[in-house]
Amino acid sequence: MIDQTLPMGADGAGQTAETTGKYVVVFADVDANPARMLESVLGASSVANSRDFADQEADATQAPATVFAELGVAVVAADPDQLSALQTSPDAQGAILSIAPERIYHPLQSTGYLEGYRDAVADLAGRLGAGSNGSSAATIGGQVGVAQFPDTATASWGLQATRVLSSPQSGKGIKVAILDTGFETAHPDFVGRNITLASFIPGETPKDGHGHGTHCTGTACGPKNPSGSRRYGIAYESDIFIGKVLSNSGSGSDTSVLGGMNWAIAQGCHVVSMSLGANVQPPHPPYTEVGRRALDKGTLVVAAAGNNARRHERSWGFVGAPANSPYIMAIAALEQDLSVAYFSARSSTSGTGGQRGGQVDNAGPGWQVYSSWILPQKYHTISGTSMATPHASGIAALWAQKTGLRGAALWSVLAQESDRLYEPAVDVGGGLVLAPQ
Amino acid sequence: MVKVTVTVDDQHVAAIADVAEALRATGMQVEQVLGDVGMVLGSIDDGAEQSVRAVDGVQSVDRSLNFQLPPPDSPTQ
Repeated sequence: MIDQTLPMGADGAGQTAETTGKYVVVFADVDANPARMLESVLGASSVANSRDFADQEADATQAPATVFAELGVAVVAADPDQLSALQTSPDAQGAILSIAPERIYHPLQSTGYLEGYRDAVADLAGRLGAGSNGSSAATIGGQVGVAQFPDTATASWGLQATRVLSSPQSGKGIKVAILDTGFETAHPDFVGRNITLASFIPGETPKDGHGHGTHCTGTACGPKNPSGSRRYGIAYESDIFIGKVLSNSGSGSDTSVLGGMNWAIAQGCHVVSMSLGANVQPPHPPYTEVGRRALDKGTLVVAAAGNNARRHERSWGFVGAPANSPYIMAIAALEQDLSVAYFSARSSTSGTGGQRGGQVDNAGPGWQVYSSWILPQKYHTISGTSMATPHASGIAALWAQKTGLRGAALWSVLAQESDRLYEPAVDVGGGLVLAPQ
Repeated sequence: MVKVTVTVDDQHVAAIADVAEALRATGMQVEQVLGDVGMVLGSIDDGAEQSVRAVDGVQSVDRSLNFQLPPPDSPTQ
């Protein structure tokens, strides 16, 4: 997902009164050795272990990293590079459930920092994995039966949460266009697939030189049984249409994006997935018209809502173009507990502008999403509304196959069948997209 | 010169080639005519927006948007 003005990732996190500037890392397995993993990424001897403190009140204000081994939680003072390393290190894949800015909790009574801190950590442990988004503990704690969807050996968490694994549909006969940075044409997981490629970037072939396009394609259309990997793809028998509308350096314009949309519609694609956007709040008229005309021709366009929120800083962002056009389905990003991710843009409402457009329509898994990547890396785990979008697109292909519905009718069934969430409609619209059963 | 996207109205999409020709006559450098979505893309002089907007069949004239992804190693995309 594109973000023209704000730093990406958690770089902007934690510099307000609401957060400490440190990060709370929740590990998937309490019995693992998180201290060793942190040391390998952050450097040796920077990690204090709560087991070293008889009273369990580790002085987290001093050490760069403090591990609460019994809880499977660590508090880490990481600079942006270290944070990025933590999020992307191969060692961390699967081992880390979540990384969230550390919030400052205000105790009801005037107790010391350490007691308040201990309570906060205990609360965190109680809702393992919850919250990069700065939601208050009370909000999440008040929900009964909130699910958790970790990646397993057999499938990514997003496919589990959206019930893709038990869906009898495969996307067979459905044409799905991914308009992005192209595709890793040599990826072994896509051998034998029906793939049509085109580039709308002058001087560049459709081959992906970035990774983003290959990741999004993998989620929407990846295989049912990838060799040596857990499943990460949804519409595994769909016909794939790759339109390269963003360059290897990740840039594009109306010229490339509208060119790619025109091509996808001309090819008769049933679903067009666009994990791209610009931080422009008013709907861009061309995308409003193209979205409407696409629906009329039986093509559903799905786009990323945007990553410009910083919820822990009480900054809610807005849905950017082209997703803010009312005839393009805007997708928000969820975490493993189905709470909204901290960066996921909020709807503009009639109270904040009065303009048609700017609504989040639905939500999909968009936090720590595992999918295909350019070679030689082959796989990668990243976050963003860019990652949520192809979940919705792949699931739209399953519904298109099952129901035969197209365009606005396909939109309707996708929205109607989505799972309602314990999150505001301005953040997740109709809720989590679900695969047909 | 500024890059613009011209949205052709529903009634003129079928005759988009004629609209593109009329746009050229205003001085617009037409680079792409997208018949399936009804868009004409190209460049116009600063201040020429009014004359382009006046062409029969033109619904709107908007400055081209640019898009930029974060680098591949960014954890949020």
